Amino acid sequence: MSVKEKLKRVLIEDLNLEDVEPEDITDDMALFDEGLGLDSLDAVELVVIVQKHFGVEIKDMVESRPAFQSINTLAKYIEERMP
Amino acid sequence: MPVQAPIAITGLGALCGAGLTLSECMESMFRGERHPHPPIRFATDHPVSYLVLELRDGFKLPLDESEDVYSRTCQLALAAALEALADAGWNAETLRGKRVGVAVGTTVGCALNCDDFYRDYKGESEPDLGIMQRFLRSNPAAVIARQLQLDGPVQTVVNACSSGTDAIGIGASWLRTGACDIVIAGGADELLRVTYAGFSSLMITDTEPCRPFDISRKGLNLGEGAGILVLESDNVRRDKKAQGYLLGYGSACDAYHLTAPHPDGVGLKLAMHEAFTAAQVAPADITFVNTHGTGTPDNDRVEGRVLSEVLPGVPFLSTKGYTGHTLGAAGGLEAAFTVASLQRGEISSSIGFANPDPAVISTPVTQNTRIDGKIALSESLAFGGNNAVLILGKGDH
Amino acid sequence: MRIGIQGIGLTGGFGSSVDSLHAALCSGTVVTQQGRVEHNGLIDTFPAYQASLDGLDEFIPKRALRRIDHCSRMTLFAAHLALKDAGMAEADRSRLGVIIASGYGPLKTTFDFLDSYLDFGYACSSPTHFSNSVHNAAAAHVSMQLKTTAPSLTVTQFEMSVPSALLTARQWLTEGRVDQVLFGAVDEQCDVLRYCRQQFFGDGEQGPLQPFAFDTQSAVVGEGAVFFLLTRDETAIYGHIDEVKLGNHAVSPIKISQDESLIIGADGHKECGQWYAQVAKKHATSAYTPLYGSFPAAAGFDLAVAALSMRENRLFVSPELTGAMPLTPTEPHPLDDAKLASLKFGKSGEYGLIRMSR
Repeated sequence: MSVKEKLKRVLIEDLNLEDVEPEDITDDMALFDEGLGLDSLDAVELVVIVQKHFGVEIKDMVESRPAFQSINTLAKYIEERMP
Repeated sequence: MPVQAPIAITGLGALCGAGLTLSECMESMFRGERHPHPPIRFATDHPVSYLVLELRDGFKLPLDESEDVYSRTCQLALAAALEALADAGWNAETLRGKRVGVAVGTTVGCALNCDDFYRDYKGESEPDLGIMQRFLRSNPAAVIARQLQLDGPVQTVVNACSSGTDAIGIGASWLRTGACDIVIAGGADELLRVTYAGFSSLMITDTEPCRPFDISRKGLNLGEGAGILVLESDNVRRDKKAQGYLLGYGSACDAYHLTAPHPDGVGLKLAMHEAFTAAQVAPADITFVNTHGTGTPDNDRVEGRVLSEVLPGVPFLSTKGYTGHTLGAAGGLEAAFTVASLQRGEISSSIGFANPDPAVISTPVTQNTRIDGKIALSESLAFGGNNAVLILGKGDH
Repeated sequence: MRIGIQGIGLTGGFGSSVDSLHAALCSGTVVTQQGRVEHNGLIDTFPAYQASLDGLDEFIPKRALRRIDHCSRMTLFAAHLALKDAGMAEADRSRLGVIIASGYGPLKTTFDFLDSYLDFGYACSSPTHFSNSVHNAAAAHVSMQLKTTAPSLTVTQFEMSVPSALLTARQWLTEGRVDQVLFGAVDEQCDVLRYCRQQFFGDGEQGPLQPFAFDTQSAVVGEGAVFFLLTRDETAIYGHIDEVKLGNHAVSPIKISQDESLIIGADGHKECGQWYAQVAKKHATSAYTPLYGSFPAAAGFDLAVAALSMRENRLFVSPELTGAMPLTPTEPHPLDDAKLASLKFGKSGEYGLIRMSR
């Protein structure tokens, strides 16, 4: 399973997005505000999700903000740092 | 919004990372000392350590029993209550037969977050049921009432970080409506690994000493402690001099988000408005503000902006650089510090602040500062969007 | 000042409406479900009064519930039901205070948070679970959903949570801080607590719940949420709260007059039994906990029964009379101008007394 696919699945499961299927999340869809509609609490939960499922630590939210734009940007961030 | 009659504050008690009594805390704050450190009482496997402010060595359990009987939060609450009662000239014997209420705010003190117990429960070993029994004995306000054998209203407020402030406001209302004649009110919280894990998961804790209102602030340092006031009705107090007066209390919700404050400080402004109306004072009458000032980017930005709108030019400080964020205890501690500072005619510097943040607009005091007025404001902002404000007056001394 | 009860909403082992509580009071029976806790390979089954959330989606779309836990869902459900019952679903909420009492707070989420780091390490501590484990999370969700900026309060004080919180509800209305209070109580079941109770009491919680058997441990696990819409209005379909008193019976004995009928919160916990026994000897007492179970917020259900009794002008017969004292009513009868009070004791003699009239 690709990082993008796995990311979509764990997002849906760990953020409890019950009525959303992986196919509903397009790779370039905005994760926050518009698009998937996540907020600041989801953002810090996303840090835990990335740590737990991919072993990648996000230390600074401000610095890593660009990575959180979409599945594309987040997957790229993870792939660059995966152990 | 209704007017509230002033309530006399006759005793103060405080203990936290800055000192084990109110005078110790005040002295160390005015000396500009603070001692944040990596946690000593517990360990975690976080990749970094977030600084905290635990109570210093030398804290003696007030119940003269081991920590197994009551939770540390209850022990802290009782220690501060006993200091405040002694300050007010009361003890358990002289309180007998009086109608005495107890209102204590806490967050940790009521949560069943006994992680050692739960770790054993999940694992192969049998968990120590004594831990659970201790929890079931340890409701902070109830413990104070029970230990002092009091008969009157009792309430443990769990409004997150505004609990202590709310408990004081609620306790004062009991006196105004005659539900009792004396109230022991404030807040208490111990530092626990669970809370440390929780706040760090929200990425609002700092690995360095916290910097309230500073442009480079990264987050808070957790602390522990208790701050308690004794409030008395006039018919019981008679000629006894008041240490200070509770002139007004206000509270309101942001109704916005579980963890983030409303960006425009909606709830804080409403709470201030209610407190001003209740106390029949105007913003121009306020001589200083003890802010919530945790050192998190969001809190300080919102609070700073509201201060610039409602109380422009009024000196303010955060004492959380000295105490850490003591959660339920914060409102109690900060009310005690505010009353003591009014008596002293001076506020301490807002430690941790060096460089202004344009987004915060306002800047706190950077050195110990004389204050001439008689009225001050202490405010708390909490998870869940609660905002609580006390307006406090100088005492008779 | 008399405080009027204008609406009630609730969910518990008997169902999810005032009508279902009324039906349970008339029939005197509620069927429990089977609770099940597995621990270290051993399976513990026990009767439990479980609350349903069927109908919550009438008020809140599923998507909005994604981060809201069971405790807060029961809370939101009962709060909306109370507003609907009071005819205030669309009314102005700028002066609607929210006060919630909970004996233990959001237990499941508290342990879910501990799981997050005990199972995966501290770097995986869940901020969502942590935020929802703070005891005022339910009240925060109510304020956010209803968009009310009026004051909010949560009280956690084991058995005394309900009377203590109600004292403040009455204060706020009396002082004019708010014009209405949405006052509620909620507690949820929890596997860990059930495990502890089983260790403490052995097999003493297999039912039936016998509130008047004061020397016996017969508590049965329960959960639920109940809300009241309180105002200062002179007219109130569910009657008025005249007084809320807290004290300690062991320090200063409670004063109850002979013409008062009591609803006692005896729920099968023998540690509190001795206090109820003292009172039941001398006064007409009824107990309805066999309809909803043993949990601190059940004191709120006792208040709901008192309120329904006011509405119906009828004292309902206690559903389980084993061990009842001579003064315990055994036939339904009109209340007329009789005074009704609900009384809850804690283990050490602390009490909360709520006096009502029509």
